[in-house]
Amino acid sequence: MVPEIETEASSPILEVRNLTVTFGSFTAVDGISFSLHEGQTLAVVGESGSGKSVTALSIMRLVELGTRGRIESGEILFRGANGEVTDLVQESEDAMRQVRGNQISMIFQEPLTSLNPVYTVGDQVAEAVMLHQRLGRREAKGRALEMMRQVRIPDPDQRMGQYPHEMSGGMRQRVMIAMALSCDPRVLIADEPTTALDVTIQAQILGLMRDLQRTRSAAVMIITHDMGVVAEVADQVVVMNQGQVVEAGSVFDIFEDPKEPYTRALLAAVPRLGSMAGRSDPAPFDLVAP
Amino acid sequence: MTSELQAGAGEAMTPDADPRSSGDSAVTLPLVEVRDLSKQFPVENRAKVHAVENVSLHVDPGETLAVVGESGCGKSTLAHLIVRLIEPTAGRIILDGVDITSVSRRAMRDHRRKMQIIFQDPFASLDPRRPVGKAVAEPLVVHKVASGSALDDQVAALFTRVGLTPDMARQFPHQFSGGQRQRICIARALALQPKLVVADEAVSALDVSIQAQVINLMMELQAEMGLSYLFISHDLAVVERVSHRVAVMYLGQIVEIGPRSAIFEDARHSYTQRLLDAVPIADPRRRRERPLISGEIPSPVWAPGTGPEPVTLVEVNPGHFVARE
Repeated sequence: MVPEIETEASSPILEVRNLTVTFGSFTAVDGISFSLHEGQTLAVVGESGSGKSVTALSIMRLVELGTRGRIESGEILFRGANGEVTDLVQESEDAMRQVRGNQISMIFQEPLTSLNPVYTVGDQVAEAVMLHQRLGRREAKGRALEMMRQVRIPDPDQRMGQYPHEMSGGMRQRVMIAMALSCDPRVLIADEPTTALDVTIQAQILGLMRDLQRTRSAAVMIITHDMGVVAEVADQVVVMNQGQVVEAGSVFDIFEDPKEPYTRALLAAVPRLGSMAGRSDPAPFDLVAP
Repeated sequence: MTSELQAGAGEAMTPDADPRSSGDSAVTLPLVEVRDLSKQFPVENRAKVHAVENVSLHVDPGETLAVVGESGCGKSTLAHLIVRLIEPTAGRIILDGVDITSVSRRAMRDHRRKMQIIFQDPFASLDPRRPVGKAVAEPLVVHKVASGSALDDQVAALFTRVGLTPDMARQFPHQFSGGQRQRICIARALALQPKLVVADEAVSALDVSIQAQVINLMMELQAEMGLSYLFISHDLAVVERVSHRVAVMYLGQIVEIGPRSAIFEDARHSYTQRLLDAVPIADPRRRRERPLISGEIPSPVWAPGTGPEPVTLVEVNPGHFVARE
């Protein structure tokens, strides 16, 4: 069983307060607040357009780069290893570069677009290590190999020399996790990390993330649309809809005693394996209006 | 047709050698029957991808047969073979008593009225520059079923049938949500009153609340029109909801096929069990600790003259067949 985590006692490692993010005249994230504690997995769940990915990109301050989003207001308070709290919204791009990868890492849904096709995966993991830690090439390679072993890539020595296209989706996502964890970040943000993967590979990656989190006591924020994944990995859950937080609570509160009509409607639509036991014919969903 | 089929079945026990082995006395002929269907795609160095390998199955009238498996297992290739979007390397497809495996393109037109396919991405299935009403009307025009105001009436009725309003026919694909676009594709598939609808990951890209609505719509249509579905999906929780029977594919072959409850409550093949164990369950009390394995599915590419070991299906319970391991 997963140990219960006392969330009230510890102060949060990451706290989002009244965050509002816009794209032109469109408000993608509308005054949301939530917090993430050490050793905890927080799932941010919602359907397309709910603002969950924009929230993740805002924490990384990537939302302003390339996507032309704008953080209009709010604070993103991050407590560093030394206990000092900084508001990431106010940080310069230079300072953010020290935060990204070192303190907060992120993995995305499609690892192929996150990896450079013309370098071997070993070189790319080693590069991530060299960028953030003062290591020479040889030491960085050694560290990269160690990381590939930790994420349970079979034959890591041989795999180091492979290019991304020579690997399966599951192996590529392992490489991304190896890269993301290579600098011992305090927070790992995973945006739909298993959505593109087959279910048996998904189970492996979720198990791996849980194992790594336990051994490193990192905080994980997972962005997903999949209530099955939420039930499987989350301690705390934030339900988002149309840019707002609809409901937040422990995974048991959300699944067993949802307060908001939207959460109830969402849960009613989720197919649950085993729910049809004893019946021979198909059955429609009992949908409830949100 | 029956004698022809039995001649082809030979002595090997296949799941469909006796489709009604469950003991029903009323003999209904299957709507679609697939016998020893194979498809190989050539790749470099004369190697071949064995996408579908000796697959036999049937779909009864009014029944939903789900085909599940992971990427590359051949489930989509199987769907495309059955509606003859691609040609099989070997095997036969019998639709409503007629062997359609080698009928000409022209003759295929008439048979195609009986079976339609809907795809995962409804946006890619609709012409962005034409009003969606034209897309729904197209099969009726091509098959000269209706024209003029009769055509308009039929299109309006189809829009209503799938939960849209007739005035939406004048709008363009980009003006709709993903769920609405899939409803439009369903309306188009229903235009010629088919007997079989092949749904190739048709609800996989939809948000969960929309997915549930579209699934409910598909079930309503089945009850009303007596449709059969061949429901191709990677999502076992959805499949458990919609199917009467389930076929599990692995590396191009069926490793287990049977009634829904047999597959979900009494899975016998190790791959089916592995697949079911991996599905995350939307209930935190049923959270499972899984071993940290890193296994992957082997490649379906085979050198010339080689191929996968053929499976032998054994009937373990009426209608429940499992590949011998």
